[in-house]
Amino acid sequence: LDGRVFIYASENAEASELQMMIAVEQQKAQFEAQVHTFTDVCWDKCMDKPSSKLNSRTDTCLASCVERFIDTTLTITNRFTHMVQKGGMH
Amino acid sequence: MDGFDLNSSENADASELQRMIAIEQQKAQFQAQVHNFTDVCWDKCMEGSPSSKLDSRTETCLVNCVDRFIDTTLSITNRFTQMVQKGAH
Repeated sequence: LDGRVFIYASENAEASELQMMIAVEQQKAQFEAQVHTFTDVCWDKCMDKPSSKLNSRTDTCLASCVERFIDTTLTITNRFTHMVQKGGMH
Repeated sequence: MDGFDLNSSENADASELQRMIAIEQQKAQFQAQVHNFTDVCWDKCMEGSPSSKLDSRTETCLVNCVDRFIDTTLSITNRFTQMVQKGAH
């Protein structure tokens, strides 16, 4: 009976460890996916013709782009939430 | 004893197979990255209608494009990392 309890305890520990590892990998994948979305969007907005280096004007544009894209998403989320809560769309 | 020999060679096969799979995955990732760059940089660098040869201006643009796209990805990654660590909005 002791032997069986011991096995269950270590299996639980392994299962928790595995769950944690999976959660960490999922977070990393989500982060990467978000970076790719920003890169796609902001490349189109900020890069005219690629030159031999990333000039500071472009870099500033990229920084603003990410922040404004997040602001935009939040604005739309809030507005749409408002619309849905008021009872559907016309 | 025979069983011991068989396990050894099975392990060797499994490792070899893992190695081969890893190489194929790398090749696939490389190809996917090339396709991504081609999509992005074709739009940025190929102006108007394609002509009868790849002129040096376009070729220079393509080289710059790949480098700048990597710089852009790194710049955004760093900035987004900072934002996430600061605890977003």
